[in-house]
Amino acid sequence: MALQGLEIRRSSASLRGGGTGLRKMPTVAKYIDTSTCIGCKACEVACQEWNDLPNAQTAGPSHGTYQTLPTMTANFWNLIKFQEVQSPEHGLQWLMRKDQCMHCDEPGCLEACPAPGAIVQYVNGIVDVDPERCIGCGLCETGCPFDVPRYAQGTNKMAKCTLCVDRVSVGLEPACIKACPTGCLQFGDKTALLEAAKHRVEQLQADGYAQAAVYDPPGVGGTGVITVLKHGDHPDWYGLPKDPTVPTTVSVWKRVLHPIGFIAMAAAVFGAIGHFMAYGPKKPKDTSKESGGEV
Amino acid sequence: MSELRIPGATSVAGPTAIQVARDREDVVVGNEIVRHRLSSRVIHWTVAVFFFGALFTGMPIWSPVFGWMASVFGGLSVCRWLHAWLGVAFSAAMLVMFVHWMKDMAFDASDRNFNVFEYVRFSDREDPDVGKYNAGQKFFFWMAAATMLVALLSGIVLWWPAYFGQTLRSLSILLHDLSFIGFFVAVVGHIYLGTAAEPGTFQSMTRGTVTRAWAKLHHGRWYRKVTGGRS
Repeated sequence: MALQGLEIRRSSASLRGGGTGLRKMPTVAKYIDTSTCIGCKACEVACQEWNDLPNAQTAGPSHGTYQTLPTMTANFWNLIKFQEVQSPEHGLQWLMRKDQCMHCDEPGCLEACPAPGAIVQYVNGIVDVDPERCIGCGLCETGCPFDVPRYAQGTNKMAKCTLCVDRVSVGLEPACIKACPTGCLQFGDKTALLEAAKHRVEQLQADGYAQAAVYDPPGVGGTGVITVLKHGDHPDWYGLPKDPTVPTTVSVWKRVLHPIGFIAMAAAVFGAIGHFMAYGPKKPKDTSKESGGEV
Repeated sequence: MSELRIPGATSVAGPTAIQVARDREDVVVGNEIVRHRLSSRVIHWTVAVFFFGALFTGMPIWSPVFGWMASVFGGLSVCRWLHAWLGVAFSAAMLVMFVHWMKDMAFDASDRNFNVFEYVRFSDREDPDVGKYNAGQKFFFWMAAATMLVALLSGIVLWWPAYFGQTLRSLSILLHDLSFIGFFVAVVGHIYLGTAAEPGTFQSMTRGTVTRAWAKLHHGRWYRKVTGGRS
């Protein structure tokens, strides 16, 4: 929802519009250091509390890990994913990563969304959903390379992490950041956090994790969630796609097929009018002998 | 309506053309020939209503340029729901129409002589070798059926994205879009040819009848058949 004081940079299914372009704001980001995450899930609880989300039902078949739920749900936007991986170099690795909306700089969900203003990107880079404008079509799910969008039961409205835009817009940090006891979560200006992440990666490399890296995939213009990975060459070990991009079909659809469609539709209408002017109607030569009536 | 009896023609004394057109077609009544009986016309217009319903609820979802159409139906959220069901209704009506017209629309040897470039030049020449439907109409019929199938299948994928993979879903976006563009262009041509371009044609889908002159001009072989070879 368009918040007071936060202008919109990009809006779904809107040909023109957005903000004035006058007010500059640094792009914000969430920093996640997976190497210092202890999997305490305080961020999960904080997210549920701040956003007034009812607790998700956790009972069900065990999936053999400490994970709260198998995947995110419409009322569970912040999930610590637990992975056990056998690394040839470092032996058994117990990896934890906070999963949520990545707040892409070029959001595939926003690109695919057909409802004007249902998905917006604020000037500070936060990607948000306006349930009032969301039509529950599910196309954002096809546009998202991170499998984030979830749909509320009954209403079918899309729901996801808002990066606590309501807190951020009044100068507070997101709830998950505030709750983190180890400091593995930080929030602020993306440029500054990228510096911090670089520094952390250097530390990890010195500690013997030569492949340590920052996950800020360029395929979606970078993300508003930057993740430090000990095994930077294996984002898939953390449940992250290796080189995420907005699906080609979505961009082809919006950038190629749409213009072609408009041209074809106009050509059909004007073609018919032109044909009528050039060749006229085809009707029986002499209808005067007919008494049955011509229309 | 005049009740002229044409000797030798399979005309019916007594009932008027519109009465005959309730349940019989390809029959001469006075100066008129019944081309589409009531059931044919009802099926055609049922398809048309569902088609335009699906079209006008789909276009505002396709592009915000057509967003104004959504307000007719009560907003985009309503369109998103209505579009899917109208699509199903359209497909069902198309299926009935397909079965109803399938035989008439089968291509025959004479259709090979149909030259679309010649046809669109609208020469005054009569088409003596054209049966009840010309090859262009038949082509439209079969293409519409095929396009409907593409739109239906891709539409089902878009309707329930949770049940299909990412590849199939993104492919369906393109297919649904292409079928829409194809339908739009074809229907503009269909409406144009059925109204302004060929006067007398529209009546065959409302009243159900055409004039003898119309039949002779556009569908010579059909005319000879229904009049028993005399012209």
